[in-house]
Amino acid sequence: MTALPANVFALLPEYVLTIVAVAIMMVEAVLKPGTSRKPLGWLAILGSIAAGVISYCQLASGPITAFSATVRVDAFSVFFHIVIACVVVVTLLSSLDYFEGNANYTGEYFALVLFGAVGMMLMTCSVELLMVFIGLEISSISTYIMAGFRKSQASASEASIKYFLLGSFATAFFLYGIALAFGATGSTSLTAIAAALGGSATPHMALLALAMMIVGLGFKVSAAPFHVWTPDVYQGAPAPVVGLMSTAPKAAAFAVLLRIAFSGFGSMSHRWTLMLWILAALSMTIGNLGALMQRDVKRLLAYSSIAHAGYLLAAFTAFPREGIAAACFYTASYAAMNVGAFVVITEAAGFQESLRTVEDYQGLALRRPILAALLAFFLLSLIGIPFTGGFFGKFYVFAGTLQAGHVWLAVVGLINSGVACYYYLRLIASVYSRRGDGLEAERTKTSTGVAAGIALGLTAAATLLLGVVPGRVLHLAQDAGSILQTTQSTVTSGVTGPDASPQQR
Amino acid sequence: MNSMPANYLWFIPLLPFAGFLINGTLGRRFPRSLVSAVALLFTAVPACLVAWLWSTMLGTGAPDVLHAATRPWISITGFNVDLALAVDHLTLIMLAVVTGVGFLIHLYSVGYMAHEEGYWRFFAYLNLFMFFMLVLVLAENFLLLFVGWEGVGLASYLLIGFYFQKRSAADAGRKAFVVNRIGDFGFLLAMFLLIVHFGSLSFSQVFGAVAAHPEWHGAGFLTAIALLLVLGAAGKSAQIPLYVWLPDAMEGPTPVSALIHAATMVTAGIYMVARAHVIFDQSPAALTVVACIGAATAIFAASIGMVQHDIKRVLAYSTVSQLGYMFLACGVAAYSAAIFHLMTHAFFKALLFLAAGSVIHALSGEQDMRRMGGLRSRTPMTFLTMSAGVFAIAGIPPLAGFVSKDVILYQTFASPNPIGKLLWLIALITAGITSFYMFRLWYKTFFGELRLGSERDPGNAHVHEDEHDRAQAVHPHGVHESPWIMLGPLAILAVLSVVGGWIGWPAAFGGSDHFEHFLDPVFASTAALHGASALNADQVSHGLEWGLAAISVLVALGGWYAADVLYRQRPGKSTQLAMRMRPLYEVLEKKYWVDEIYQSFIVLPLMMMTRGVLELIFERGVVNGSGRASAMLTRGGAWFVRRQISGNIRSYAGWLALGAAAVLAVMVFGHSLLVHL
Amino acid sequence: MNYDHIILTLIVFFPLIGAVVLALLPDRGKTMEWGALLIALVTFGLTLHLPFHYAYGAQQSGFQFEQNVPWIDAPAIQYHVGVDGLSMWLIVLTGFLAPLGVLISWRTIDARKKLFYVLFLLQQVAMMGIFASLDMLVYYAFWELSLVPMTILIATFGRTENRRRAAIKYFLYAFIPSALLLVAMLWVYAQTSTFDFPTLTAMATRHSISGNPAALWLASLAFLLAFAVKTPVFPLHGWLGDAIFEGPTAAIMILAGKTALYSMLRFSFGVFPEESHRIAPLMIALGAIGIVYGALLALVQTDLKRLAAYSTLAHLSFIIVGIFSFTVAGLNGGIYQILNESLAGAAFFMLLGLLYERYGTYEMRQYGGLAARLPWMVTMFVITGLAMVGLPMLNGFVGEFLILSGAMQTSFAHHFFWTVFATLGVILSAAYMLTMIQRVFYSHVGPKANAIEGWDLSAREHIALWPMLALFLVMGVAPNIWLRAIDSAATRMANQGRAAVATTPGLPGQLTSASAPRITGGGQ
Repeated sequence: MTALPANVFALLPEYVLTIVAVAIMMVEAVLKPGTSRKPLGWLAILGSIAAGVISYCQLASGPITAFSATVRVDAFSVFFHIVIACVVVVTLLSSLDYFEGNANYTGEYFALVLFGAVGMMLMTCSVELLMVFIGLEISSISTYIMAGFRKSQASASEASIKYFLLGSFATAFFLYGIALAFGATGSTSLTAIAAALGGSATPHMALLALAMMIVGLGFKVSAAPFHVWTPDVYQGAPAPVVGLMSTAPKAAAFAVLLRIAFSGFGSMSHRWTLMLWILAALSMTIGNLGALMQRDVKRLLAYSSIAHAGYLLAAFTAFPREGIAAACFYTASYAAMNVGAFVVITEAAGFQESLRTVEDYQGLALRRPILAALLAFFLLSLIGIPFTGGFFGKFYVFAGTLQAGHVWLAVVGLINSGVACYYYLRLIASVYSRRGDGLEAERTKTSTGVAAGIALGLTAAATLLLGVVPGRVLHLAQDAGSILQTTQSTVTSGVTGPDASPQQR
Repeated sequence: MNSMPANYLWFIPLLPFAGFLINGTLGRRFPRSLVSAVALLFTAVPACLVAWLWSTMLGTGAPDVLHAATRPWISITGFNVDLALAVDHLTLIMLAVVTGVGFLIHLYSVGYMAHEEGYWRFFAYLNLFMFFMLVLVLAENFLLLFVGWEGVGLASYLLIGFYFQKRSAADAGRKAFVVNRIGDFGFLLAMFLLIVHFGSLSFSQVFGAVAAHPEWHGAGFLTAIALLLVLGAAGKSAQIPLYVWLPDAMEGPTPVSALIHAATMVTAGIYMVARAHVIFDQSPAALTVVACIGAATAIFAASIGMVQHDIKRVLAYSTVSQLGYMFLACGVAAYSAAIFHLMTHAFFKALLFLAAGSVIHALSGEQDMRRMGGLRSRTPMTFLTMSAGVFAIAGIPPLAGFVSKDVILYQTFASPNPIGKLLWLIALITAGITSFYMFRLWYKTFFGELRLGSERDPGNAHVHEDEHDRAQAVHPHGVHESPWIMLGPLAILAVLSVVGGWIGWPAAFGGSDHFEHFLDPVFASTAALHGASALNADQVSHGLEWGLAAISVLVALGGWYAADVLYRQRPGKSTQLAMRMRPLYEVLEKKYWVDEIYQSFIVLPLMMMTRGVLELIFERGVVNGSGRASAMLTRGGAWFVRRQISGNIRSYAGWLALGAAAVLAVMVFGHSLLVHL
Repeated sequence: MNYDHIILTLIVFFPLIGAVVLALLPDRGKTMEWGALLIALVTFGLTLHLPFHYAYGAQQSGFQFEQNVPWIDAPAIQYHVGVDGLSMWLIVLTGFLAPLGVLISWRTIDARKKLFYVLFLLQQVAMMGIFASLDMLVYYAFWELSLVPMTILIATFGRTENRRRAAIKYFLYAFIPSALLLVAMLWVYAQTSTFDFPTLTAMATRHSISGNPAALWLASLAFLLAFAVKTPVFPLHGWLGDAIFEGPTAAIMILAGKTALYSMLRFSFGVFPEESHRIAPLMIALGAIGIVYGALLALVQTDLKRLAAYSTLAHLSFIIVGIFSFTVAGLNGGIYQILNESLAGAAFFMLLGLLYERYGTYEMRQYGGLAARLPWMVTMFVITGLAMVGLPMLNGFVGEFLILSGAMQTSFAHHFFWTVFATLGVILSAAYMLTMIQRVFYSHVGPKANAIEGWDLSAREHIALWPMLALFLVMGVAPNIWLRAIDSAATRMANQGRAAVATTPGLPGQLTSASAPRITGGGQ
């Protein structure tokens, strides 16, 4: 495969996805409204699987730089590529039956998911801020549309609009940040920026630039105080979409933030650590408090995703090596359990969202014991109970912060995780308690489709494996971390150019 | 007859336990005859073993102390206790009393309980009691003694509450156990101190250590240990301030009152003090306390006994006061006298209770003396035997009671203790009162006319409600003499009450103090300590002893005369007298309101405090309140956070802008702030 | 062949396998009951391997039946299991109680059996794991895991409508301090870069965990707090009442006490010997207060379950006093009393459950005069009650006696006072226990007892109860069978404590010297 020119090989996953997406659009255009879109869905799934596999193969042949050093494919980007690909696959699997017969032109939906994936992947592997911006836009726009895909519902359109307006507002911040960065360092390439900031005292303009970009990305990852949009959007958007956008775009945004913070502005870490410390503490606390009394399950999970963004941000306060590894691992485990939870919700509630509040979920254990057990399992993982991915996610993050000496952040975080179990448990408890009226039987379809079954199986397996044998994934994460760290060290030590890295491995 | 192997000692307690297991598990299915057969067998065999043991111990060349093979019980680094039995002459006496009297009372119960529900249960409990009592007297260390100590408490709890449907019975049982626990509290602390200071609980080691350190005489920690032991003894032997449970214990079946609450269990305290005399001898203060408690209890209980109407309660209070005598004797270091009185008291008090039981049995459950009378002709055997008991306890020579009580009085008088004379005076007065209330009981029960069916005064009708329902069907013609199986033991005990004292007949009266010398090996150390006074007392002052004896006899006769006047010659007189001295009479009849005082000054306040302060304020307020408060706080925060999510997009944009501004500010100035901090 | 190296793994994970199998079996007839019973019995059989192959002897101070395989290399987490005198009998006890728990739920759990028994077995796994793990993180994993099945059991099979609140309350009370515990553990790891307990405790005796006493102090407090809440220790018992009030019998049989007390002994004392000594006076005071407080509140309860809750508090407080006296006797008694309390408490809860099966209430006013109708029941109740109030020749006495005498042996006047105070407990415990027995079984027949025609113990219930009573007697008469192993652990702890303290200024060095036999006139 390496026979291929770098420019082709580097972005092969993106190419594949794009081609598949375009193909789907074409077919969709010619298909009659009535006919089933499932084959398109399967096609999309195959495409994203292929993308994932390819990016895994890229890992073998060391870091590649392409498009005049704007794209850099390394262990770090591959890690996120794979995470995103997996999330996309699961989302598509759970969406197959979801839209079938409920909405028209669902082919577009599959295409949009793939386009979104392309954008996210691009974000993770670009080391050039404008490139990052392009990826950001691609992913954002497709997610805006997906958020409103339950076209019949007013709430969906509202969600879409809100997301769009605020999203573009935030993107503006990000763009301005890029501009300031260029002003401060004369370049938009992270390596160059790192080099420029290397020795000299940090100019205030660079600080402003970083701040702006943090705002923009903070919005994407829905970190407090830029979280305000999250509950409304999650409530309005279709469950599978929420599953997707609560994980994949976040992962991408975090990847960008990691790159910018550690390898771009790494030399200023003493300046931004405090910032992210505060953001982390704020997000955890606000997220958990918001979820505490929440009755609507999707809003509840929205707040919980805010809180988890907080936990993830805590990783930034650790030493680079542990911090990055922890962040990567956390992203993976969070993706697994959160998507899983949303797959369950998709299954339980259906397109009509027949189950909204916590009380609605009463008696689920009686109707669909397996589904209930899985939900409980994912929620326990979100709490951070041992032998689930969530536990090791938290464990690595806070181990890192403690090693860096931020004891109080760890205390705040773990107290938060204590408070958090209250609302997760409320959901579990109501799932496991019988409700008064016996008429829940016909409230929902009680059979789980094959695709959704696979999706559930995959997420559950992932969550469990991450909790029992985290070793493999952790190694990947650590490689990713070391890559970023080495690039940082190399650039800060003045050695420019990506070709420095092969010697590192 | 060859001597008994030491390890057979184990059989003495374990056989009754086997009896308990058999009757306790299978008894419900057994016929009554089989139940009683088992119970009697497993009490008779130990009695025989004890007889064999006597012959062994009195045999030539027998050791002073006979040790059975021990088994380790609790052994940890630096401390261990064994299951160890040992017998010396003191134990021999206790064994004889326990097994002998115990067997007789088992026999009696076969007749007395014949018609009761839960016959098997009764005998199972009795055997259980025998087991623990024998462990108590055979134990070679404090902890094993404590096992028996608690165990007899348990047995008494079960037996007092035998009629558990009766609320009063259940209450009495619980009261007995809890009050005893107060005593055990002291006993436990004493044992902890022993461990701290001696690292062991074995009698031989502890006493050996104390004996080896004469310089500890009057040492603080010995006094502390001794006083804590006294607290335990006071609980078990019903002394002030813990005597309150014994009168209520009369709720139990009468044989139980006779065995446990007169003859054996309640004397465990005296036995324990005598057993630990080595410690007490080293602590004069503790001895004085013991003596004072004893004397006070003796006269206090006796005074209450004068005016009680329930025949069993009279005997109960007399038991308390007699136990006071024994305490007094211990207090003046006349341990052998105490044990001597313990023995004779076991005879005549068991006799009195059993006779009273026979009376109650005759009247089908009536216990109120005001409704008795004239039984002399109707139940002659009971009358005869009871008379023996009455004369014995009243101290009429030459019966057992006279001898032992006289020894105590003399020893008290002759004791070097500064307040010895005062104590003697109190004891003397008590003797008079004792004789008075015993003859009062005698007259009211056996003389005059049978007053069944006459109204009792409403004043204390409530006290007797429970007997009332049992005495429903009684009418004068129903009165009958008890069967022989009950009268037999009465006869034997009557004989013992007459002659039982003679083995301790004082040298002064031409006797030879057999009893005292028999116990010499046990109390040798005491003799060595108080030797001087005791010895020349023996030699010199026979005249004094004669004098004291004469006085006490006169006092006893005086009490008899008073009772004779009030209850035989002029029956109406007593009530007039009571009217004239109403307040005093009230105080006595209401037992100085001690129960009420305890109830309202200790129990109630404690309950109030618990319900009010602990449960309402602390538990609800602090323990749960703290949790609730923090929950409230969190909810408040949650409410605030959610208020910000208005759904209004303009406010969202506002938040974004605000956040951005904050981020910028922190980025630019936060660092310098940190540096300054 | 020799199973010693894998026996613990078998013990821990056999119930897990069983649970999985049970989950796959169809819930028909009595399948669940028999399956669970079988699994529990086999597990118990496996645990019996330990006492028979345990190498006894005072010198025997290390861990046995060890298995140590790497799990995760960075951070270094080993799957390291092993037992010593402290944990061995606790594992056997846990194995012993499980079948009884199944037997006692036989009738009461009639719906959703599968869920119940699977969770019950998972709880079993977690507890076994807690007792067996020697790697702090593995231990922590089991410790957290143990919350989940219990919470769901209470939330699902609770008695009244408040069951969910009680369950969540229990979880929060246990989880939030455990979060701090995790912080402390991670901090210790950051200092020592190991989670291996033997290594850590060795470092602790050398004072080489951290040079920062303040931080060590805080960490030790985090440890202690987590365990104290879960035990619970006196003012932190807010969750106990509700959990016991709601929980199903089989769950509350194993709810409180042993895991947390074990953790205290193992980790608080093992990793922070010096700090534990520093806080001992406070803990002893709390323990003594807890004894009297619990007994007093038990005295005024009218609900049997509430009474049981407070008596549990009182009995656990005894153990606290014992272990924090740091004397050989106190530690021995404390550890032994953990076994006794678990047994007697379990038996007590079983009996209460049986009463509830018959009369459907825990309200004492409803009962009365049952002794005539249920002779066996009353016998069991009385014997269990006596075991709980520490009647000699029954198990409770040995423990309490050793605890109190041990506490008395410490050379602090402060401890002396609190010991006397704690000894008051023997009076109050007798008071409330006998009052309870009287109200339920004696005197007049109560309304419910009158209305419903109860039945005496069934064969199954006899089978469930007799082993308990037999154990009460054996443990009271021949405690050495157990103390043999416990004593080595207790002695080691006492000595380690002394070693740690001796090198510390400000604390009396010969803290436990009084425990050695000595004939002195001390106290003059």
